[in-house]
Amino acid sequence: MTYATSGHATVNVVRLGALATFLLGGSALMLVSTPARAIPPFARQTGLACEACHTVPPELTPFGRRFKLNGYTLTTRSPLVSDTDDHKKNTVWLTDLPGIAVLAQIGYDHYDRAPPDSGQPYPAHAQSDTFQFADQFSLAYAGAISDHVGGWLQLTFNQEAGSVGIDNIDLRYTDHTFDNKWVWGLTANNYPTFQDVWNGFGSYTIPNFNTTTLWSSGVAGAALSGPIINALGPGNVAGLGAYVFYDDSLYFEFSEYHSAVAGTGTTPVVDSTNLSVNGGAVDRFAPYGRIAYERDWGYHSAEIGASAMYIYRIPSVGYISQQQKLAAAAAGETYTPAQTFYPGVSNRYTDLSVDWDYQYNGDHNIYGFLGHVTHERQQNNPQLVAATFTGASSPIYTNPTDTLTQFLATAEYFYDRHYGGLVSFTRTTGTSDPLAYGGNGSPANQYMVFELDYIPWMNFRFLLQYNAYQVVANNQNPFNLNHANFPNSPGFPNVKASDNNTWVLGLWMDF
Amino acid sequence: MRKPAATSLLVAAIALAATSLRDAPAAPIVVPPDPSTMDATALVSTACSKCHGPSGNGVSISPLFPTLAGQLSVYIETELKLFRQRGRSDPRARAFMWGIARGLSDQQIKGVALYFSQQPPVRGTPSSNPTLADKGKVLYENGAKERDIEACIVCHGANGEGVNTNPRVAGQHRDYFVREMVQFRSRLRENKVMQDVTQKLTDDEIAALDEYVSTK
Repeated sequence: MTYATSGHATVNVVRLGALATFLLGGSALMLVSTPARAIPPFARQTGLACEACHTVPPELTPFGRRFKLNGYTLTTRSPLVSDTDDHKKNTVWLTDLPGIAVLAQIGYDHYDRAPPDSGQPYPAHAQSDTFQFADQFSLAYAGAISDHVGGWLQLTFNQEAGSVGIDNIDLRYTDHTFDNKWVWGLTANNYPTFQDVWNGFGSYTIPNFNTTTLWSSGVAGAALSGPIINALGPGNVAGLGAYVFYDDSLYFEFSEYHSAVAGTGTTPVVDSTNLSVNGGAVDRFAPYGRIAYERDWGYHSAEIGASAMYIYRIPSVGYISQQQKLAAAAAGETYTPAQTFYPGVSNRYTDLSVDWDYQYNGDHNIYGFLGHVTHERQQNNPQLVAATFTGASSPIYTNPTDTLTQFLATAEYFYDRHYGGLVSFTRTTGTSDPLAYGGNGSPANQYMVFELDYIPWMNFRFLLQYNAYQVVANNQNPFNLNHANFPNSPGFPNVKASDNNTWVLGLWMDF
Repeated sequence: MRKPAATSLLVAAIALAATSLRDAPAAPIVVPPDPSTMDATALVSTACSKCHGPSGNGVSISPLFPTLAGQLSVYIETELKLFRQRGRSDPRARAFMWGIARGLSDQQIKGVALYFSQQPPVRGTPSSNPTLADKGKVLYENGAKERDIEACIVCHGANGEGVNTNPRVAGQHRDYFVREMVQFRSRLRENKVMQDVTQKLTDDEIAALDEYVSTK
């Protein structure tokens, strides 16, 4: 049932669709992305051990940040093929060792309470244990491509998606002055914040092991709410940015993103026929600005930063393709034009973040405090808001404007890069919008992550993680959603946020 | 109409950035693509400065990495050659310098060594623990003959400035100094003389020497 017809059932479809689409962040979209980590191609290229660039992967040291800002071009290997023109400029530069990496993530999850069966009503339930082998498997090229050009280009098999697709891409051109007072570069990437070099927010936020949750695994068909900037990962956008790193401390960036919807059955033209891919599409332009200040002293490195992104986004909720319209017409059914979204029917999001990243990178002891606060203002398209809605079916937002605030703070400690762990706290709150979020309209959620790590080698990381949920509002809770799927069933009794608590045994490796 | 406007803005921003870069006081260099053909200053700018002082002054920020400003040229040259042939196997040498030095030519090593030796050295600061510094001074200048400990001054100079092939120890990070001494003592870092000397030193004596040397 992907298109709306009149009647009560339609409302449910739209509402569930709204949940699936608008409760973003920590969503399945995020899980398509495998962040770049300490990867052997960089080590082979530079001759440096992982610890040069990472405290513990993927968190970057000050050196690692500069390596990335310089476009991954630092090399101690001579090119196999190179030629220069009369002005000593390169005309070709080819490495003797292509920077190929294999990256794999394996996870074993145990859910504290057996989750609902998506095809049967209560008391049927799913297995409590799942084994993702491999959860993600990637091939990537990483490193210098020319003397001033470097990149990270990744292809990933994702178990939940069940397919191989383009993952993170970051291509850079960089240069710097002799004294490194000015480092500047251009980046073309497909993931806003993937280009960032600090770990308090964005695609590299610590904790960084992509746990398979009940939401992402599709049991509920929904996701925890969060800022939309978290969901613009590979497959949704592509953009070009310019940045300057001044005096080893001050970072400025301006990037501009456009829609780049990728996925099964999509066409280069983004219209109403492919908005369902990745839950919607960016409309028009999406500028992103970033400023950060880093100060390093002794073993310490501290950063404070801010970012802003302005996004027009067409939701996929209620989407009806032309084929479906025709099919509906042929079957004598009706559809609701107001719920056929296309470029122009877009919501406007303003995401403002403040982030911090303090790191102590000592001889044996490593610890850090990282996090961010992101505030999102979502101005809903009048065509979709209750007060101004004119269609034949139901509106999908209660308010003209919704806001959302996410706070994330993480503390971590590692000894000798072998043993360690972290504690992370995430809390999301926002305005009540019953039509968008269901139930009493709250988008709130709160959870903690406890993680113990054992790192026998820097490219092998074993972890034991416990995800503990304190607040999961309304229809974000998969145990409630099972009830919604089966209105005549008694549903799961005594549904609590903590029903979603999950143990994770994970392995990350790359070689 | 929006798309051209946005594109123009972006182009203008990049052009502006490029213009301001051209006006930057430090002259940009064209970095040769092949690290084996880089001259010393290009190597310093591209590689060494990331750990040993971002502006190329040889004064490192983190005590994980030594300050090289004013270090004896011959000493840097010797160590770089040891790194290149993997003749130094202390953990930091393995993690960082084996790779960095692996492709350097003798000429590049000589040039880099000369470059850092010509940078102004870091001056010491008055001790906050004069008693400990005095204890270190006695040990540094006189050694401990009853335990057959040679005076440091013989090899490292009256002010820790280094003598012949023996390195400058003045102006070094305190934590770095202590770590290297401990690594000599545990034979993690190769050097027969220093391994023998440090065998006889206690942790307190190493701390005292560190306190004294830091005033130089």
